[in-house]
Amino acid sequence: MTASKLDRRYLLMAATGLFVLLVVVYPLWQVFFRSFLDAGAFSLKSYHKVFSNPTYYRAILNSVWVSLATAASCMVVGTLLAFLAVRTDLPYKKALRSLIVLPYALPSFFAAIAWIQLLGPQGYLARFFMQLSGREAAPWNIYSAAGIVFVLTVHYFVLVFITVAGALERMDASLEEAARASGAGTFRIMREITLPLVLPAILAGGLLAFIGSLANFGIPALLGMRARFFVLTTSVYYALAIPDFALATALSSMLVAVALVFMCLQLGIQRGEGRYTVISGKSVRPSELKLRSTRVPLFLGATVFVVFISIIPILSMALTALLTYWGAPLKQASFTLDHFAYILKLEAARRAVLNSLFLAALAATITTVAGVLISYMHVKAKLKGSRALDFLATIPYAVPHTVIAIAMILAWARPPASLYGTLWIILVAYLAVYLPFAVRTTHSTLQQVHDSLEEAARVSGAKLLARLRDILLPLARPGMIAGWILVFMPALRELTVSILLYAHRTETIGVTVYNLQDAGYREVAAALASIVMGLLIVGNFVIRRLTGGAAGF
Amino acid sequence: MEKIRVLSLTKRYRNVLAVESATLSVGDKEFFSLLGPSGCGKSTLLRCVAGLEEPTQGEIYIGESLVNSTAERINVPTEFRPIGMVFQNYAVWPHMTVEENVAYPLKVKKLPKEIIRRKLEEALQAVGLQHLAQRYPSQLSGGEQQRVSLARALIKEPEVLLLDEPLSNLDAKLREQMRFELKDLQRRTGIPILYVTHDQTEALAMSDRLAVMNAGRIIQIGTPAEIYTRPVNQFVADFIGLMNFVPCRVIERSGGAATVELLGGHRLTVADPGGRDGEAALAARPEDIALGRTGPIRCRVAAKNYLGNLIDYKVVASGQVLRVQTPNTEVFREGEDLGLSIQRAILFASDRRSRG
Repeated sequence: MTASKLDRRYLLMAATGLFVLLVVVYPLWQVFFRSFLDAGAFSLKSYHKVFSNPTYYRAILNSVWVSLATAASCMVVGTLLAFLAVRTDLPYKKALRSLIVLPYALPSFFAAIAWIQLLGPQGYLARFFMQLSGREAAPWNIYSAAGIVFVLTVHYFVLVFITVAGALERMDASLEEAARASGAGTFRIMREITLPLVLPAILAGGLLAFIGSLANFGIPALLGMRARFFVLTTSVYYALAIPDFALATALSSMLVAVALVFMCLQLGIQRGEGRYTVISGKSVRPSELKLRSTRVPLFLGATVFVVFISIIPILSMALTALLTYWGAPLKQASFTLDHFAYILKLEAARRAVLNSLFLAALAATITTVAGVLISYMHVKAKLKGSRALDFLATIPYAVPHTVIAIAMILAWARPPASLYGTLWIILVAYLAVYLPFAVRTTHSTLQQVHDSLEEAARVSGAKLLARLRDILLPLARPGMIAGWILVFMPALRELTVSILLYAHRTETIGVTVYNLQDAGYREVAAALASIVMGLLIVGNFVIRRLTGGAAGF
Repeated sequence: MEKIRVLSLTKRYRNVLAVESATLSVGDKEFFSLLGPSGCGKSTLLRCVAGLEEPTQGEIYIGESLVNSTAERINVPTEFRPIGMVFQNYAVWPHMTVEENVAYPLKVKKLPKEIIRRKLEEALQAVGLQHLAQRYPSQLSGGEQQRVSLARALIKEPEVLLLDEPLSNLDAKLREQMRFELKDLQRRTGIPILYVTHDQTEALAMSDRLAVMNAGRIIQIGTPAEIYTRPVNQFVADFIGLMNFVPCRVIERSGGAATVELLGGHRLTVADPGGRDGEAALAARPEDIALGRTGPIRCRVAAKNYLGNLIDYKVVASGQVLRVQTPNTEVFREGEDLGLSIQRAILFASDRRSRG
């Protein structure tokens, strides 16, 4: 037997480390670094530009207040619905729950398009309102800050709903029963016992909604830019169109800064949850509140609301795709399949679909493999430095996608590696965006594989690759497939990154829908969006089946 | 000839000392146990021998070859060590059949198919699993999974077999049965075994020799009889079997014998362990105390448990509670006033019981 052999796992870790360095660390460093650079020297010029021009510094304020308003309304709507869906005897709760989470399964810019179709100046609901009231115009304007907050809320309240519903389910019923035994009435218990106990969950969900809104591009782009209402993500897009890279990096750094402040808040809340450990994994089923006489009205109200936010937009999209033109009178002569025929024949659209399929499949495969390796080294092999690698790979989770796109331009759009204008730069950006998700899912999958199973293989004489091939990968396969789909699906419909990185012939589905809508081809955009929506809903169903309901909506 | 040699091995995790300069050797055909309470470092020591943990200091030899040496910076990976190992939770791979599990060590060695087939049959036969070869682990009982694990450990004909609490997940009846089977298997194959357990009955029953460990250190190595009858300190005395500890005073020493005073003035002469005069502790097994109508030390029966072959008494003498086990030939009642005599006892210099 030879003496000490080099542990091959360290070779593997070095290779993975290089990957994370190239895809995540180096590009993000470029954003930060270059924002302080002017003609090769240290300078605060670009920040000065941000804070001296009202268009830009207002974008920061707009981003913050729009996101705060969204988070607040998400917390109200999400908490109310979570209470109704978990703690009351409302009928058809299960169906209600799957409908509630449906809007989140669709891309947010589809929601923006659908709500423009519904509430825009000639929108279906606007016209309906005008007919009812006899007025010339609807008393609202979807192209406004209020419109942005509304659509963001409809999209992100699900995050609050899920966290609060989870906390309510895990709550120990005896806490409320003790209050009841002390003589407190139902509403008093809700107010003084239940609500304070789930408050951390409400806040945590609210912060998720805040961070989501802050990083969202599609909704403020489609609803705000027309009214010249800019937030940080749309300003970066604008700065890039000028093009002013220094400005774009400075705005990106601001975006990251705001996101980080609120992410830290979220961590603080999570840590503070220790005080609320009464919400533990108990199996005691919490009691259901009897709604009695309010049961039917509340059910009707909830149903109308849920149908309004999840079914109506989808129907609106399909309707628009089937009408000869948006705003055509709703009679038989106005219906046509021309838009579908057009989009199926349009070469640019076919190319976009192929591009998106190619990018999504490749991104899902590469991130899943990288995720497995990173998780293996951290969770199983417990190598020195694997923790740091794991951390670096999850950084992009905290970075708005707009910033990741900028980072890729800075890092990979100049010689020696000039990828700009190719699909590869979009791919690298996708890898950075989705790596944290892949690491997270493979992490939990590998954690479920007991250490001794791999150790037994080592004792049997199996070397690293044999162990991965024969033991770990087969055991982790179901989780890996689910993880692959969880990257593939959002990547397929991605907009924020690809809109900043695409060039002629490298359009993605998201870019094509966005550009068609933006150029006024609403019906064609709706046709393409309808096809994609159908695919996403089917895919979602597949994920649920594969993961036994653990993933997907 | 020694099959495993561990030389002043230390394993430190950050600031926890899991194993502290442990030295031991396992001879050819020997059944050697590491016995100790949970967290004493016995599993860590075994995992160092397996190469699943890297020692902070020390050397390990398996057979002739040096597999660990911090001085020479040698740490042979587990997969290159000539060992077989059975894990506490069996670690049978759930996605492979019994056959695939057992044959795996030969498959990674890339042996010819017909040799694998022949050895597989032998290994399955040795543990009595031929009829279950095509089953998946989820279709097997705990005891059967245990045998799969054992067959898998033996099939590559390792130089040593490492067993990490292999019986602790089985129910009492099966555990006893497996104890005999393991012992029998070892007798047939002659493979040296390093066995980790926290169950003293198991260790005493199966081992040729054992090492008692506490707080990362090996306290005593010896045959089961040596450990039972001549524990080196109060920890070992207390950990193995039942033991009464009676406070006493050393009043005279001469020629290797010490006279002590205990239980209200009674005097006894025992072997002298050395140390200071004054307060000490006398240790006596329940079966080494005789109980009768007459006897030098007066006591009263406080409680009685009928165990069948034995009767287990709690008696009180001068305020001290003692466990006494007598044959079932004479039975005393609770509350009866009796006399006891200590037939055999060990003197420990200090009164610290839990220290190693």
